[in-house]
Amino acid sequence: MRRRNVAARRLVDLAMRLAAGGAAAAGILALAWILATVVARGSSAFSWDFFTRLPTPPGVAGGGLANAMLGTLLLTGLAALVSIPIGLMAGVYLAEFGRESRFAAAVRMATNILMGVPSIISGVFVYTMLVATLGHFSGYAGAVALALIMLPVLVRTTEDMLLLVPGALREAGLALGTPRWRVTRDIVLRGARKGLLTGVLLAVARVSGETAPLLFTSLNSPYWPGRLAQPTANLTVTIFSYAMSPFRDWQAQAWGAAMLITLGVLAASLCARLLVRGK
Amino acid sequence: MLNALLVEPAVGTQRLPLPAPDLAAAPDVKIAARNLDFFYGENQALFANSLNIYANRVTAIIGPSGCGKSTHLRAYNRIYGLYRNQRASGEILLDGENILAPGLDLLDLRRRVGMIFQRPTPFPLSILENVTYGLKLYYRLRPSELMERVERALRQAALWDEVKDKLDQPGMSLSGGQQQRLCIARAIAVEPEVLLLDEPTSAIDPIATARIEELVDTLKASFTLVIVTHNMQQAARVSDYTAFFYQGKIVEFGTTREIFTNPRLQKTEDYITGRFG
Repeated sequence: MRRRNVAARRLVDLAMRLAAGGAAAAGILALAWILATVVARGSSAFSWDFFTRLPTPPGVAGGGLANAMLGTLLLTGLAALVSIPIGLMAGVYLAEFGRESRFAAAVRMATNILMGVPSIISGVFVYTMLVATLGHFSGYAGAVALALIMLPVLVRTTEDMLLLVPGALREAGLALGTPRWRVTRDIVLRGARKGLLTGVLLAVARVSGETAPLLFTSLNSPYWPGRLAQPTANLTVTIFSYAMSPFRDWQAQAWGAAMLITLGVLAASLCARLLVRGK
Repeated sequence: MLNALLVEPAVGTQRLPLPAPDLAAAPDVKIAARNLDFFYGENQALFANSLNIYANRVTAIIGPSGCGKSTHLRAYNRIYGLYRNQRASGEILLDGENILAPGLDLLDLRRRVGMIFQRPTPFPLSILENVTYGLKLYYRLRPSELMERVERALRQAALWDEVKDKLDQPGMSLSGGQQQRLCIARAIAVEPEVLLLDEPTSAIDPIATARIEELVDTLKASFTLVIVTHNMQQAARVSDYTAFFYQGKIVEFGTTREIFTNPRLQKTEDYITGRFG
């Protein structure tokens, strides 16, 4: 038997470590860069007016994006309201009842495909269904588009989280003579509640930054979001149009809005992480 | 009279007709498996199992890994029904009624036949809620009655003194041995007739194991117990009857004393003395 060269092995080990470490650093660096730029350029836009006033025409001082902030909250909230019950129940069906059945396999496949659909396609789809047919853009259409994007994420995370609950716990519930639906409600869902909450938070965080689907559906508005049947103000489309505008003050506000959304998503993700750790 | 009818068929498989042990002194038969076959999809795991479980006695099921001990036990409360590809045929008579018959009330069966699993399975609820969970399924009790029954179950499970001051803490916060006793309390709170124990101490330290073994001995005054175990000494210590399983068949059944001191078959002796398994 020939002994292998230990020095060469050490060298390969070192090279692999450096490569892996470098790759990890590149990812973190990109995130840090984005965060630093957004904060550096966005924080100057933060002011009392920014959070409380309606937009003003370019050149007129004292304008804010309060309507867009409220609009984004309304649209995301409405989308979550529609999507969360459907997503959770579909996930429960897949993990607890459908399992290996053909129907469940079909639902799983459809969910995967829906998850891979680019968000702009969801926007165009809702445009043809709810905007072209009704003849005007609306906040409701925007919420539906967001719900459509949120749904597959919720279904899959729900199923994954429920499957993490040990099968022995289901058996123990049934062995006590508990009906299946009560085992699901009292034991499985309860056991997975932290994971489920995390999934919901991440799904909401994901859609709160979507622009393309809103561009085709809720569009934007300079007014308070009074009725969602009309075009509705929101932060992401505002960023899109303000950032493209030639006006300095609008561009500054776009940076401010970008920072606000980034911080919001970051906060939601951190909450999710803390919840998981709390387990 | 029912007893006599049920004891009549030879205990064991058709190929190995064994005289029923000590018939004169034998108590009532609580559960009688008759020609029980079990399948995982296409794979047959149990072959014509016939076995009597005597009331208010402890019956141990022993045998090497994969011999069908747990599979046999899991037929007694039909818990295998959770999985689509598992099925049983033959008969399992609980007080003379075939529990494998279609249309049987599963919830009622499982109230009468409780089960304890290999790993402790406290629900993600408080200690108190764990014990009341089954009770509330079956009975509408006044709070005072409920607490009375909780205390009785926890005392029977030899856990009351350790948890009486922290009933509102999560069941998961207890130690492994305490969790297992909590599961026993939860199971006996609904006052079942039979308690199935599927390797109840295999995930638990020796001291906690000793406590659970003591518990098994006291519980047989109120319940009929069936315990699957990998541990020969445990079977010898806690059981009155022992069934030796091998490759899905019941090879030998008798009083624990007979099986451990004077087994009729070489195979049984080899297993008990640790020559294989």
